[in-house]
Amino acid sequence: MTGTALRAPTQARPRTETRAVLGGYAGKLLRVNLTTGKIRAEPWTPEEMRLWVGGVGLGAKILYDEVGPRVHWDHPENRLIMATGPLAGLPVWGTGGLTVVTRGALTDGATSTQANGFFGACLKFSGYDAIIIQGQARRWVYLYINDDVVELRDARHLLGKDTWECQDVLSAEHGLTGHQMSVYSIGPAGENLVRFAAIQGDYGHVASKNGCGAVMGKKRLKAVSIVRGTRALDAADPRGVVQAADDIAHDLKTDPSARSLYEWGTLPAVVNLYKMGVLPIKNYTTNVAPAGVEMADWEAPKLRHGFDHRGHQCSACGMHHCHMQVIPRGKHKGELVDEPEYEGWSGAGWQIGLLDKESIAWLNTRIDRASVDVNEFGWVCGWVMEGMEKGYITKAQLGFELRWGDLEGAARLLDMISHRKGFGNLLAEGVKVAAEKLGGAAQEAAIYTLKGASPRGHDHRGRWEEMLDTCTASTGTLESGVPAHVTEVGLPARINPFSGEEVARQVAGILGRRHFEDSLGICSFTTRTRLENVCRALSAATGWLYTVDECVRFGRRTAAILRAFNLRCGIGPETERPSARYGSAPLDGPAKGQAIMDQWEKMLDSWYAGVGYDRKTGRPTPETLRKLGLDWLRKDLWGKKR
Amino acid sequence: MEVLSWITKFIGGPGTGRKEFEEAFVPGETVGDVLGRFSARYPELDTALWDASKKALGEHIEVMVNDAVLGLSHTLDTPLKAGDRITLLGQYMGG
Repeated sequence: MTGTALRAPTQARPRTETRAVLGGYAGKLLRVNLTTGKIRAEPWTPEEMRLWVGGVGLGAKILYDEVGPRVHWDHPENRLIMATGPLAGLPVWGTGGLTVVTRGALTDGATSTQANGFFGACLKFSGYDAIIIQGQARRWVYLYINDDVVELRDARHLLGKDTWECQDVLSAEHGLTGHQMSVYSIGPAGENLVRFAAIQGDYGHVASKNGCGAVMGKKRLKAVSIVRGTRALDAADPRGVVQAADDIAHDLKTDPSARSLYEWGTLPAVVNLYKMGVLPIKNYTTNVAPAGVEMADWEAPKLRHGFDHRGHQCSACGMHHCHMQVIPRGKHKGELVDEPEYEGWSGAGWQIGLLDKESIAWLNTRIDRASVDVNEFGWVCGWVMEGMEKGYITKAQLGFELRWGDLEGAARLLDMISHRKGFGNLLAEGVKVAAEKLGGAAQEAAIYTLKGASPRGHDHRGRWEEMLDTCTASTGTLESGVPAHVTEVGLPARINPFSGEEVARQVAGILGRRHFEDSLGICSFTTRTRLENVCRALSAATGWLYTVDECVRFGRRTAAILRAFNLRCGIGPETERPSARYGSAPLDGPAKGQAIMDQWEKMLDSWYAGVGYDRKTGRPTPETLRKLGLDWLRKDLWGKKR
Repeated sequence: MEVLSWITKFIGGPGTGRKEFEEAFVPGETVGDVLGRFSARYPELDTALWDASKKALGEHIEVMVNDAVLGLSHTLDTPLKAGDRITLLGQYMGG
């Protein structure tokens, strides 16, 4: 092995340990202090596991307890929590999952963002359920985990490398190939504290939201690499886990909705969302494809079979979702890329007027490798393109002409942002800050929330649930996420998508499901099945009796803690609005003329009533907190008398 | 009737492309009447389209009438006019 150990290997999890560990769990949290170089393993109890489960549930509690209001995103005492959950490493599809929780750089508020691959499984097999990273290293390091050997190693030779190069170098140094080592790292955007830098790993998986990569960069932590550990995981009922896993797989293969995910991943969304007016085109300036573009050419088979491709599945996953591809023609012919998700086709494609598939696939991978969030890149790049077209951003400012669909120009802009060169230094602050700096028509055209977050890769003017969710979320991105099987939690199968009242009730009603999923160490695409099956898998793993009601209650508890954290950071209800363009009425397409802002205040009223939060202060009401079993938080928010 | 992309699977298609059908109806028949008659010919579609009561739509398939989501210009109870187009589209899954 190469690399310089900054400290001696720790005895983080002595092999002599005999303490009984709850099924599904490794039983320890790994705390890494980058300032002192001290690393220690902390046990957590079965009672704590039941309360906080893992992932965002565990991360939210640690964030609330350990990051005070004066510890901003770039403060050394900010925490970067990389957490798995009780299903990670078990034979349930998509259980290599990782949830990153931190105070993020884009909103300076709470963040919960997920990625998959093999990280979660590798960490669990090494003996840990989560890593809590604090402090700031004096020089660039990476964290190396190989069962009992846990070290901070010199990372100076990795500086400047993109995320794929970083994984290549570390794999070669350790003589490991394939999935023997999981590496999550930052590229130049993270090193240069771009406010929407992501953490990318295992060639194509990205924890992308709210600048978690900038937090990692500020800590001078280039990468976390985990050799696939050698420890086995127990389950309370191994046969029950396999049965539940089989039912989840069966549902994904046969469910009328999830079947498309099983066969094609998120690719069908391009055509589906276009038809609904939800595919963002050229910075929300239109919802109609250019003349001569045939949408049948954008169906899933056309997006996949145009490339030489092969499956690139995550840990224990049988979905035909993630793929690697080879660019078949053009300037970048022969280059290996990861197949764009729907959000790659939108953020690196339609949103910036780029409709050449090979070009989109190439740019999307460059964005991943630079460790940039593809959504925010799309909002920034599309905004600059529109600005140059309309004259409120000039060639003198940017340094070159950038027109709609200009691949080389977009790549140049990515490089400027990633390295904070020239005008890229302002753009690296995110579209909200850049737009506010320019003001006037430029600000009017930018797409963001007043919190500073950006939408996922959609035109939410045709999908009001997600605009309301994005604006009210405490995670820097969608918080309730994509509703699936909503009838299982007592909600109507369908609503009028442009009735503010119905939309608000639906978004409020589903709150909690996503938090639960993101606490398990499982991919949210493999939980697009009945919650009951997921609850059975969790129950079999842990020996708990976990019901659908409990999972929603748990999720709402987590949501309340994240909201309390944000309120303490000064992020309140006054920020729960879209920017002018984001909240505008579409000028054409299927949602033409639908004006969400006409109903916005009433939507907020209904949403607040539905989730049990106080409309004026934004706080979860004392009654809500009592029902959720959060008396300690009630005292924090309302004082002892309430 | 227009069946798009993934939903063609439920009527024996490949899960891609578009299939169109002319449906005759008598004056006064509604969106729901025509949808029910059409889906009855395809058991897999019928199961996916409706909820257990068979009176309300389930949550798996989006229905549009003349390119507008159901609920805007039409409901299941709205009478159809000659030339109206009902589109069946897969539910949005993932991002």
